[in-house]
Amino acid sequence: MGSITFNHVFKQYKGESRPAVNDFHLSIEEGEFLVLVGPSGCGKSTTLRMLAGLEEISDGELYIDDKFVNYVSPKDRDIAMVFQNYALYPNLTVYENIALGLKLRKTAKYDIELRVNRVAKILEISHLLDRKPSQLSGGQKQRVALGRAIAREPQVFLMDEPLSNLDAKLRAQTRAEIIKLQSDLKRTMVYVTHDQVEAMTMGTRIVVMKDGVIQQVAPPRQLYDEPSNLFVAGFIGSPQMNFVNGTVTLEEGSYFFSNKRMKLLIPRRYDDQFKRMDRSVRNVVLGVRPEHVILKAEEADDEERGFVSSSVQMTEVTGADSYVYVNVGESKIIARTDPGITYRKDDKPAIGFNMAKIHFFDENTGASLAIGGDEG
Amino acid sequence: MLLSRLRRITFFDFALVLGFTALAAFMSLPIIFILNHAFKPTNELFLFPPRFFVQNPTFSNFEQLFLHATNATVPFSRYVFNSVVVVTMTLVSVIVVSTMAAYVLAKYRFHFKQIILSMITLSLMFAPETVGIPRYLIISGIHLNNTYLGHVLPALASPIAVFMLVGFISQIPNELLEAAKIDGASHVGIFARIVLPLSVPAIATISIFTFQGVWGDVETSTLFMQDETMRTLAFYVNSLLSGLQNSVAAQNVAAAAGLLMFIPNLIIFLLFQRKVLETMIHSGIK
Repeated sequence: MGSITFNHVFKQYKGESRPAVNDFHLSIEEGEFLVLVGPSGCGKSTTLRMLAGLEEISDGELYIDDKFVNYVSPKDRDIAMVFQNYALYPNLTVYENIALGLKLRKTAKYDIELRVNRVAKILEISHLLDRKPSQLSGGQKQRVALGRAIAREPQVFLMDEPLSNLDAKLRAQTRAEIIKLQSDLKRTMVYVTHDQVEAMTMGTRIVVMKDGVIQQVAPPRQLYDEPSNLFVAGFIGSPQMNFVNGTVTLEEGSYFFSNKRMKLLIPRRYDDQFKRMDRSVRNVVLGVRPEHVILKAEEADDEERGFVSSSVQMTEVTGADSYVYVNVGESKIIARTDPGITYRKDDKPAIGFNMAKIHFFDENTGASLAIGGDEG
Repeated sequence: MLLSRLRRITFFDFALVLGFTALAAFMSLPIIFILNHAFKPTNELFLFPPRFFVQNPTFSNFEQLFLHATNATVPFSRYVFNSVVVVTMTLVSVIVVSTMAAYVLAKYRFHFKQIILSMITLSLMFAPETVGIPRYLIISGIHLNNTYLGHVLPALASPIAVFMLVGFISQIPNELLEAAKIDGASHVGIFARIVLPLSVPAIATISIFTFQGVWGDVETSTLFMQDETMRTLAFYVNSLLSGLQNSVAAQNVAAAAGLLMFIPNLIIFLLFQRKVLETMIHSGIK
């Protein structure tokens, strides 16, 4: 109950050259918390709306519980949706807002009352039931919108950026509540967001989309550790992964990454990958996350392999960490450092990378060169 | 606290309040005149120079009106009844038809929608006189002369009402309708439960001007009703005023009838005015 299958689904709007959703092919298991994430206009909301039945599917098939639902109207799909702007009926009280879906499904009156009160208790909105939406704060409206979805006890919950209208503190709090709610209800949840922090913290599996195309589908940890391409690597993680352009060369049986300023020995695990490529010099992009950048306060010692000198541009202190923005030649690199050490502008610390944690991407295609990391 | 609030009134505030009060007083002059005029005895009605306020108020004008009316071939009450029936039928049908049309035009995508919208806008430009003859041909063609439907039908297609409602309904967020759709509401359900209640301010507005248009309309009575018993109060009052009958002797009757015609307008306006000012549309949305 509550499994969803997208079989090569397309959405093509009239008069647009590029499909809004391009070959979306994915199975969502029952009880899964799937997060669709990507920049605005990447097709994640369109995908969700096709799943809800609010947009027609141009091509491909959609199954909910192995039932073909392309032409099934939203009300018969056994889904509930929470909208970004809550979409509470302003003319109805909170109670009526939550009850409407049940009422329209001809639920018995005592049952409606029972369910609404139970949901109100879970979400701690019992004291608000007689109010109109205009008398509620943003957080309260959000709870009512959640309540409206829960009361119907659908198989699938759809959420379209439900937290983006809340302030930061409330957002973190509601985020935790939604996670708890999902694990209590054990229902399938499809959640759309443009916020990668939300995606990472909430999803059991994350779908990263760009320009209507799925870039990678993976659990949060894997997405972070093994991004399948440059886009995913740059999109997930904050501050984003550092990228350095360079070439791969073979010297005395070892592969080296080099550009004008640095020459780094590439770990052995990439050897097979590079061996398969043609012999000639190959252009790649090296990716390294800020926490895997090592800064040394003293000037670079040319003898010491892997360290080059850099120039500090600015420092950002977030409290637990501080981020140092440095220039190495033409590359701008962000390093996470211990906030105990302060770097001032134009300091010249030595910089190196934790070579066990680096990524390589094909400069032309953007695809990851890591073993098994490339899912296409 | 009161003092501190008083002190904050600037000269500009003062001038603004004074200016608007003066304007409001000026605008209310006709209303005050109608009220006074209806209670003037005959000698005051014909006084020169005319007086604005009544000196010796009397009910004799109303007595005359009812006397006159009871002596006429068609009783006064019949005109009132006709007017009430016509106004009620027209109001209800204009609201139903216009909101339904506006909802579809505002929220659905279909072929020729733009053309239909342009035609509605275009029909706003026709003066009522230009459509008099076509309307007569249609009404007599489908044999609606001397029926209530003959009064209602010409007013039913109200482009201004549709035009206003389209603007209003298109402001209702699509998410509300989609939420209702997912909740299980049918097209009619969405219309009745969401769109209609949310359009109340706009419906109140169109009700006011539809009421005023129909209540004061003499065209349908003049053109389509040959039977005197099917004509409305507006027609009767107009006939008193426009000298179809003895204009000098009937001035007092006309003054009283003028007030009677005006009062329902006032009531309707006061009734719906609050709704018009209520802006409830954005309250459910952030």
